[in-house]
Amino acid sequence: MTDDRFASTVTTTCGYCGVGCRLEAHARDDRIASITPALDGPANAGHTCLKGRFAHQFARKRDRLTTPLIREERGGVPRPASWEEALERVATELLRIRAQHGPDAIAGLASSRATNEDCYAMQRLMRAAIGTNNVDNCSRVCHSPTSYALRKSLGLSGATGSFADFDRADATILIGANPTEGHPVVGARIKQASLRGMRLVTIDPRRIELADYGVLHLAPRPGTNAAVMLGIAHVLARDGLVDRDFVQTRTEGFDALLELLPRYPPEAVEEIAGVPAADVERAAHVYGEARDACISWGLGVTEHKYGSEVVQLICDVALMCGKVGRPGSALLPLRGQNNVQGSSDMGALPDTYTAYRSVADEAVARSFEDAWGVPLSRAKGWTIPQMFDAAVAGELRAMYIVGEDVAQTDPNTAHVVHALESLDFLVVQEIFENETTRYADVILPAASFLEKAGTFTNAERRVQLVAPAIEPPGEAKTDFEIVKLVSHALGHELPWATPAEAMDEIAALTPDWAGVSHARLGRTGLQWPVAPDGTDAPILYEREFALPGGRARFAALPYKAPGDHADAEFPLILVTGRRLQHYNAGTMTRRTANVELVDRDVLEIHPDDAARLWIADGDVVSLRSRTGRIEIAAHVTDRIEAGHVFTTFHFPETRTNLLVGASSDVNTSCPEYKVVAVDVRPIGERASKTPALA
Amino acid sequence: MTRVAVDGVEVEVAPGATVLDAARAAGRWVPTLCFDARQDPFGACRVCLVGAAGADRPIPACTTPARDGLAVDTTDATARRVARAVVELVLSELPQAPAPHTELAQVAERLGVGEPRWPGETHAPRPADTPHPYLAFRHELCISCGRCVRACDELQGTFALTATGRGFHANVAAGLDQGFRESACVACGACADTCPTGAIDEVSLLSPPPAALERPAEVSSSDTRAGRSPAIDGGSG
Repeated sequence: MTDDRFASTVTTTCGYCGVGCRLEAHARDDRIASITPALDGPANAGHTCLKGRFAHQFARKRDRLTTPLIREERGGVPRPASWEEALERVATELLRIRAQHGPDAIAGLASSRATNEDCYAMQRLMRAAIGTNNVDNCSRVCHSPTSYALRKSLGLSGATGSFADFDRADATILIGANPTEGHPVVGARIKQASLRGMRLVTIDPRRIELADYGVLHLAPRPGTNAAVMLGIAHVLARDGLVDRDFVQTRTEGFDALLELLPRYPPEAVEEIAGVPAADVERAAHVYGEARDACISWGLGVTEHKYGSEVVQLICDVALMCGKVGRPGSALLPLRGQNNVQGSSDMGALPDTYTAYRSVADEAVARSFEDAWGVPLSRAKGWTIPQMFDAAVAGELRAMYIVGEDVAQTDPNTAHVVHALESLDFLVVQEIFENETTRYADVILPAASFLEKAGTFTNAERRVQLVAPAIEPPGEAKTDFEIVKLVSHALGHELPWATPAEAMDEIAALTPDWAGVSHARLGRTGLQWPVAPDGTDAPILYEREFALPGGRARFAALPYKAPGDHADAEFPLILVTGRRLQHYNAGTMTRRTANVELVDRDVLEIHPDDAARLWIADGDVVSLRSRTGRIEIAAHVTDRIEAGHVFTTFHFPETRTNLLVGASSDVNTSCPEYKVVAVDVRPIGERASKTPALA
Repeated sequence: MTRVAVDGVEVEVAPGATVLDAARAAGRWVPTLCFDARQDPFGACRVCLVGAAGADRPIPACTTPARDGLAVDTTDATARRVARAVVELVLSELPQAPAPHTELAQVAERLGVGEPRWPGETHAPRPADTPHPYLAFRHELCISCGRCVRACDELQGTFALTATGRGFHANVAAGLDQGFRESACVACGACADTCPTGAIDEVSLLSPPPAALERPAEVSSSDTRAGRSPAIDGGSG
């Protein structure tokens, strides 16, 4: 269609959530004039949400970082600097610290909002230019348990199918996710499938919108997902809903699970999780009796002390029924950020190179040493929480953080700030000043997703092209350019002129990405693994699993109590999450007209609890946990179960994460954001102050 | 597979495909107005009529299943005459010509429909709803094609839009006609994306108003909250 309202239109991939909507970005006068959905986007099929479509004004806000900044003294006001001076300062400080304390005194964070090529460049910088495996990304605090569990149970760290499987499934279990808010386009897709007759079972402490479209809603107490999945497995085994043939020919370890299951009859699950026994039975039958069925989950499963074990139990349920590896039967984790799948795929993790190959694997490490021409460490690096602990302990001296506002989004804010203040040197690469840049010695101005080229990998393992629609403002540069300049200043050349050339190196060094190239990705992308001839993999495990012997592994894991619990002093359980109108730390969405729709975080509380505590809708309340205290306005709603409260972390003045303690997933140290015992009481006045930090 | 001849060109389409699918597969243009490939066929506007061998009158391409051996003529004189008449009648109800980028304007141009010959009553502009930061409603441009209602139902699943009124007064309402802001609308924009006339449009694209609008002042000043340009930096928050 001809449209003279716009000077240019490029097709790109949305930079908000992990759905991976393909967008047409229309520009005029070097501004985004409008964004519309690409009709041929595989994940969005001509649809978007209000973030992807409308929340683009942040790109030209006046407070964008447009020049490097240097802060000469802690707490001082940073001054503008030239790129030459800023890069010189970064290189001098990092090289000084490395000389004095060794390479492992430096750590880097790649960004799950950045491209695959940015993340690959960042991990190469940390490994080759600095010489440490201290590199991580924010999947640590969201879906690292999913990655761990899928690798343990099935072999590969990714969804086994595609969103299109929802369209073909007869039933779906959705657990610990609220996709109509967090992943709106997939939420709409699940809703449409339900309206067409897919039998949807929702499992969440909140009565999420999709519960109204399902056949059954289970509201377990936070932290008891394991008991619910074990109860479902119990009923599947008891009532003859096991696919014996599949279990026998394609899996191992089922007997150990069978031995465990007698401990979890529906009545026992009702006792632990507060879910009626009959509902557990019905959920099992809806899933087990369907010809094809999916299980989908989000951070309500992973952000727990035993989150990774629950994902393994989800895999158990699917394997018992043989519902994996064919159209309409898939395991579909709803990955959080636009490139949280890709940043981990790219090896921006302290223990793996690309495609989750161990840094201790001699052959793999040698292949990277040969390509990069430097010796590489075989020792695992620190995870994000370990980095903060190490900083406080004085073992970590410098950090280079790309695009992550750890001071707002990571748990235990006071500890994070203490860690940042303990560093000798902090470089932050960002598009806006934020809570974390307050502690930075050097701030490097980066480009947003609308201003750069590369690829994002969505929650379907689909690698899709990102194309610049407008120029970065002022002197801001793309993350790819900046990481290359920093690496050059540190004495290690990153030899690629363009992100496409970086992708060629990734493909050459990563068998599962062998056939990926920018030219091949085209308009609809490719789902890894991609064979050298370009054949991709919409469905994994059609014939065998990616584990030794080709067999999937059952995990026999008992229910264990969460890391926090309600008691006399802290009688309610706080769950934190997101809202439709804002995205995580809100760095982008708070700078758009989305704030006209939602302008603050509120605390959802059940009418019964509110009445008992003398709290009226709109009252400011004190919210106190074992770790911290904040003040926030209450919103009385029966979307939340009695005994629980819910809030978001979109607005920095709320400081929600002051409340979240150090408890984390036993296997991956993903924080337990979803179970925080709190005390709520009215304070009868407006919030008096933003809480001071350590 | 089903074999269909479109203007003499043989094409194969999958079972369940429509005559419109076949015409598009053959690379032939069929005008449409109430059709959006993202939605189930609706068949309300009759702009997509084509001639069919053996049929005594034109058939709607978007709702007619393609059957084996069918021969259709996309340039059938009767079909085209009806399509032009429909588009001209639709245009005659609007207080101003639709902007050139809109689907209605483009279909009219390609069909050779110019200034409507019927100068009767046109839709009167309505007072604006409570302003929404992104979505603007200009009810007087609504042609009741139902695409926005179906986008909200079939693509998004929010059911915030409803068809209202009858005949000349047929229109669309958000919620109980209190506007987007007070309705269940989640601002996904699917309605604006499918609207063929700009009756539902992005606020930022109205300001400054497109030059093609003849009477922009009274419409856009209320809908976009005069003096403010929401999509431009510093405009809000």
